Amino acid sequence: MGVVYCSCGPANVKEMSEPSEQLAHVELKDLPPLPPPYDNIEELPGFKKLKDETREEYEASLDDTLAASLKKPKSEEEEKEMVERFLSGLHKLFTKENNWTFLQPLLLSMEHCAKCQTCVEDCPIYEESGHNELYRPTYRSEILRRLYFKYVKNGNKWFNTFQQGGIELNWTLISRLFELSYRCTLCRRCAQSCPIGVDNGLITHELRKLFSQELGWSPEELHGKGTIQQMEVGSSTGMNKMVVMDNIEFIDDDMTDRVGFDVKTPWDVEGADVLLLENAGEFLAWPENHGCSSILLDAAGISWTMSSELAGYDGVNYGLFYDDVQLARVATRHFEIAKKLGVKKIVMGECGHETKALGVIADRVGIGNIPRESILTLMRDIVFSGKIKFNPEKNDFPVTLHDPCNIVRNLGIVQPQRDILNYLAPRFREMTPHGVRNYCCGGGSGFAIMSKNNFLDWRNHISSRRKFRQILEAFQDEDMSPETKKYVCAPCSNCKGSIRDMLDFYGAKEKSGIYYGGLVELIVNAMEDAREPILDWDMM
Amino acid sequence: MSILHGLVILSLVIFIAAIVARAVRIMRTPIHLRWELYPVPHEKGRAAHGGSMLEETDWWTKSKDKDHLGELGVMIPEILLLKGVWEHNRKLWFSSWGMHFGLYLLIGHLALVTLLGILGVAGLDLSTGFLSILVSLLKALAIVGGALGLLGSVILFVMRLSDNGMKRFASPSHFVNLIHLGAIYLTTLLWALLDPQYALHSVGLLAGLVSFGEIPALPVVGYVNIAVVLLFFVYLPFTHMTHFFTKYFTYHEVRWEDEPNMPGGPLEGKIAAAVSQPVTWAAPHIGADGKKNWVDLVSGTGKVDDEKKEA
Ligand code: SF4
Ligand code: SF4
Ligand code: SF4
Repeated sequence: MGVVYCSCGPANVKEMSEPSEQLAHVELKDLPPLPPPYDNIEELPGFKKLKDETREEYEASLDDTLAASLKKPKSEEEEKEMVERFLSGLHKLFTKENNWTFLQPLLLSMEHCAKCQTCVEDCPIYEESGHNELYRPTYRSEILRRLYFKYVKNGNKWFNTFQQGGIELNWTLISRLFELSYRCTLCRRCAQSCPIGVDNGLITHELRKLFSQELGWSPEELHGKGTIQQMEVGSSTGMNKMVVMDNIEFIDDDMTDRVGFDVKTPWDVEGADVLLLENAGEFLAWPENHGCSSILLDAAGISWTMSSELAGYDGVNYGLFYDDVQLARVATRHFEIAKKLGVKKIVMGECGHETKALGVIADRVGIGNIPRESILTLMRDIVFSGKIKFNPEKNDFPVTLHDPCNIVRNLGIVQPQRDILNYLAPRFREMTPHGVRNYCCGGGSGFAIMSKNNFLDWRNHISSRRKFRQILEAFQDEDMSPETKKYVCAPCSNCKGSIRDMLDFYGAKEKSGIYYGGLVELIVNAMEDAREPILDWDMM
Repeated sequence: MSILHGLVILSLVIFIAAIVARAVRIMRTPIHLRWELYPVPHEKGRAAHGGSMLEETDWWTKSKDKDHLGELGVMIPEILLLKGVWEHNRKLWFSSWGMHFGLYLLIGHLALVTLLGILGVAGLDLSTGFLSILVSLLKALAIVGGALGLLGSVILFVMRLSDNGMKRFASPSHFVNLIHLGAIYLTTLLWALLDPQYALHSVGLLAGLVSFGEIPALPVVGYVNIAVVLLFFVYLPFTHMTHFFTKYFTYHEVRWEDEPNMPGGPLEGKIAAAVSQPVTWAAPHIGADGKKNWVDLVSGTGKVDDEKKEA
């Protein structure tokens, strides 16, 4: 076993199964430089090394960080047993009983890749890692593909190896593969550019499912503290019904003070037209977002309610990122709550993955669906309904828009947010590229809530780097000093979390005056009748 | 009927049977969860910005007309010009386009030879009028298709060996496939260039094949060409090169498949069948026992109890 400390990745697929101290390593000096004043590595935060104790306890032979954090097995027997279980899961992944949910897309992606590498330059993680081979979108896909052809696909083994190349299945491989399935944000930008329609994001998703559904391996933030806590306690934030109602009451009072008219969130109103289902993380981290939604719905005269049922006040669904059964459980709970209340529709708050999970992915997990729509489209209609008076001059500062992948690439909701910003933000400018060709914020697929060990450093240096670059570039025609306040509008809770972390990490508020927030805050900030501006730069 | 007749029939039967089997296997997979990827070109009036019907409030009450012409507008440049490769991997474009377009020209050539062969058998005079123009077009198609395809295959072969990304994932089959394709292009090209009777020979060959009649004596390169083409027919359906038709599924059944599941709608039956299947995933939080199906697992609190048991 040799120490691999060059700034490089694996030379080939087979290295994945070969024991070594570390398969890949990233040196900060090899990352594509950021624009000034973020171009001097010495002045940027470093990339903390994993502690020796952590490396002792966890399988950390993939790269410089740990996201999934798998404990080392105690014995070789345990390793062997895990490999057997992995193999059994691999078979189940390709059966219609266990994986009807994605079998067809998975088979198509497994069997038809031309290995042309047309998709790779579109991956922000690969590019911004300085083209580290470990993060090439096709690398992890290739491993699953070779395993599939070797162990699952019928036919002559020799012919299959001749077609696809060989691979050795062992503990080293599966423990690394588990970690590697958490180095992709599932943003699916690479899938857009594959001429054949192969989807490397989907393959990552399926790998995570295999590990979770068969071996019970998943990051604590997504499972124990995520879907499980949501269904046991009511929210992945850990807030139970009493706490959430208290919090909302506080938000309502605060908003009432600030805007000068009554803000009151209705709870459990049977027969309301709309059930508002938001990411409960908003209530703690960005309370104005809920407050502003509440103001807007009331001002538009909409009959709406929130639900205090278990999980009825938290729209997140982390099952989307790692486990179809958990996804279906959370979504089914949401559907049941809406049906019980007898609402006409569920309106999903500014949360990309919630909207994708409940709006589209969970569309086929059950029978007798309740209609769902994104709050973005509803807000566009409210803004242009003429019911509310706006003064766009209140938003007279530079604004750019982050497109959450889940909202644009995966749902096709592209224009409503632009219609609103074009009207209410006179200094709105687009990022390049934007819309369905956007770049992920770097927090996708659960990364935004994962920060154990030094994963936050990995995220900010690598997976969020492209978004940070885009944000800086969007404001280049402005005075980049902190005196000119600039606003990154991110209509997604997860994206906000990740943008918050990246702006903090690089000190972008202090150095360049870059702030961030949601869309509804900009809308309410421009309301003619509001007493005080909602956006309080000192508090942001 | 000669040995050649037998071989042609055998390879075509294998080709068609294997392609049909693959298509059936894909079509028989259960309904899957929605996984569309925008832009979806059949979104009327919204495809240009990548939008969907979800941009409308109460979208389920609105018309869901699909713009199928919009789909063609994406598929045609993609198939003929490899637009995706042009946009995302320019350095690969010429070789890949050459290799593919050369094949399209040869497929066109084969169709034309077949047509002329049938007309010849039907007793039409191929040596005069419009048909004679078509006959002379044959040679041009064979030369241009063969040359373009050969050039593309050779460059692709070099790239497979030398390009940092492509060589990492190259398996032996990639090289064999390119040699095989290269051999098809080369023998077509040589046959067309070296045989003064090329058009007559190839039309005669097809006429003999379709009528189960006599096949004219061909130059050696012609026989080699037939051999590599037939071998390709037998081999292709077992490789990733079936993407020439499975692409239909990746686009229409996944990327652009955005059919909402409306209460009482056509999808409910398929979903009911999918969720009634027993699940055997082994992780404890799933709570599967091989008998419980998806509905059993997702409803109720079985999962939570299991979590407590684990703790
Ligand atoms: S996923 Fe698509 S673009 Fe990427 S290597 Fe495979 S075929 Fe090429
Ligand atoms: S889904 Fe996104 S992060 Fe993952 S490999 Fe593709 S482009 Fe990269
Ligand atoms: S966190 Fe935001 S930008 Fe990133 S994948 Fe999710 S929606 Fe996309």
